[in-house]
Amino acid sequence: MLSIRNLSARIGDNEVLKGIDLDINAGEVHALMGPNGSGKSTLGKVLAGHPAYEVTGGEVTYDGRNLFELAPDERARAGIFLGFQHPIEVPGVSNASFLRLAYNKKAEAEGRDELDPLEFDDFIQEKISRVKMDSSFLDRSLNEGFSGGEKKRNEILQMCVLEPRLAILDELDSGLDIDALRVLGEVVTGLMTPDRALLVITHFPRILETIRPDRVHVLSAGRIVRTGGMELALELEERGYDWLKAEPAPAGRA
Amino acid sequence: MTAAIENPLLPAVAAQARPAGWEPLRVRAEAALSGQDWPSTRQEAWKYTDLSVLKAMDFAPAIAAAVDIGPLILPEARGSRLVFVNGHFDARRSNTSNLPTGLRLLNLASASGLAHELGDLAGPGPQAQADADPFAALNTARFRDGALVIVPKGMQVEPPLHLLFLSTQEGGQATCSLPRVFVVLERGASATLVEEYQGQGRYLTCAVGEVLVREGARLDHTRIQRESLQAHHFSSLAARLERDARYDCRTIAFGACLSRSTPRVTMSDEGASLVLDGLALLGETQVADTHSFIDHRFPRCTSRQTHKIIADGDALAVFNGVIYVRRDAQGTDAQQQCRGLLLSAQARVDAKPQLEIYADDVKCAHGAAIGQLDPEALFYLQSRGLRLALARNLLTYAFASDLLASIPLPSLKRQLRTTVLARTNAENLEALP
Repeated sequence: MLSIRNLSARIGDNEVLKGIDLDINAGEVHALMGPNGSGKSTLGKVLAGHPAYEVTGGEVTYDGRNLFELAPDERARAGIFLGFQHPIEVPGVSNASFLRLAYNKKAEAEGRDELDPLEFDDFIQEKISRVKMDSSFLDRSLNEGFSGGEKKRNEILQMCVLEPRLAILDELDSGLDIDALRVLGEVVTGLMTPDRALLVITHFPRILETIRPDRVHVLSAGRIVRTGGMELALELEERGYDWLKAEPAPAGRA
Repeated sequence: MTAAIENPLLPAVAAQARPAGWEPLRVRAEAALSGQDWPSTRQEAWKYTDLSVLKAMDFAPAIAAAVDIGPLILPEARGSRLVFVNGHFDARRSNTSNLPTGLRLLNLASASGLAHELGDLAGPGPQAQADADPFAALNTARFRDGALVIVPKGMQVEPPLHLLFLSTQEGGQATCSLPRVFVVLERGASATLVEEYQGQGRYLTCAVGEVLVREGARLDHTRIQRESLQAHHFSSLAARLERDARYDCRTIAFGACLSRSTPRVTMSDEGASLVLDGLALLGETQVADTHSFIDHRFPRCTSRQTHKIIADGDALAVFNGVIYVRRDAQGTDAQQQCRGLLLSAQARVDAKPQLEIYADDVKCAHGAAIGQLDPEALFYLQSRGLRLALARNLLTYAFASDLLASIPLPSLKRQLRTTVLARTNAENLEALP
């Protein structure tokens, strides 16, 4: 589904990604871990098309298409979803209207029927109860004044509405208490189907107890330095990241 | 010095059409104008207001023309509407069939018998302004008609009152109208007023509004300037608030190649509260200038002012807002904010918020922020599948939405939203709140 080859990218003069190789197939859950500043969030933003990042080398294909030929909104309509680490507050745009607009743009692109406000209301009620969010949040401005946890719930609500094929969740766990993390983790897992894939970016293995990864990658200084299974995540919990610098990465591609 | 401002083609008013009680005021304004030239951009207050096009204009006598007001009718105000065309009262298009008994909503020329009641209005506010602003003086010297609203003591007026001023050009020539609006809310009364300016072609509107909100009364006033893009629009507003009065006034400006709005509100007793908001949505080479003055003369009054500007193309917007807190106005609570949104590299907003405080126990704040659409917010919306153009429109609309949301008439709110969306080249965003 997603194939990343020797990807490098920078923001301003700062080279953040220095040759990433990664393959994600349909049906797989991947976790991307690594210390602060290793480039985890950058990878998510580059894949979603953030204009501040410049791709300086390598290639990425999504369903066989060159990802970089697609504008950010085209990527979204093609099924890529980035769950933001820090969701943006947009005063003056109601959450419900925004969700419906996003849903309808995707439905339009896929040749499905768009939903009018009443139909959408039925549709969204089921989703919002799934993420255990109070429906009063629908009438509020998008993310405005939401707590950190409420913003993350709202990201997963958007994911439920858009049902992406490839979801990249950037530090879903930050700002969430343990119960909320479990609830949202279960919702995310429940959205997985054999033709969808997940890339979970996180510092901490806890979220991976609910969203079980098939592969765990460790990013350090812009490169993937280790790849393994869940046992790698647990090893990181025990030992931290420093030992990775001391022990050279094993040969071969991640 | 040429007496250009007394352009002889401006409508001369037959003496019998003027309320007799106003004669001294008119004579004074005429004298103030005599020999006065047009303001020049060398004067600080007119720095951005280039009148050269206006100066070169020849005005045809404005005649009553046939216009279609269909799309402008507000269902809520179907029976509480006055219409003026090129400054002339249009009885046929007006409709006052749904007014509570005792409320007066009529054209000034037919109300000269009420001149004694209006005497009160000729207070220092309007006159001071007339002296300072030649366009206000021009109106005072030459106005022939306008609207009069008097809400008697304690009356809570249910239907909103709609004043519609329409202009057209006459053949190939520009026209000029000088409407005057008087609004009085007697003690404890309350009402909702919509004052709207629209037109086609080249013309000059030079309007003066005077508002008196008496003790404990409440007025919600929406002023809409949707003049043609070839029009010049000057509008002065002088409002006086008595004890515990409440005045909510919002001015929404979309039109005119050059517009200037000069609201001046005086707190003339304790405990009054004011909301004085503005929204200007400009493109092409439009210029919109707002000079406001809020005069806190008495203790414990509150004022809130939010002025928002959306500027695209080569547009220029000016906000110069003074909050003046006099020595006796202890306990004043005043906040002023100007926010500008620039949609193009050439658009400009000049903001000059000013606090002048002479009392020591006050709570005052002001600020100005001018910027572009937030790129992070644009990316966020795009990452959810909204095209860049749609994301821009949505954020632009959102910038204006709180002000539009405060309009108490649902039909007008819808109408203005549509206008904003059309001006931001929006796709179909009808479903927005």
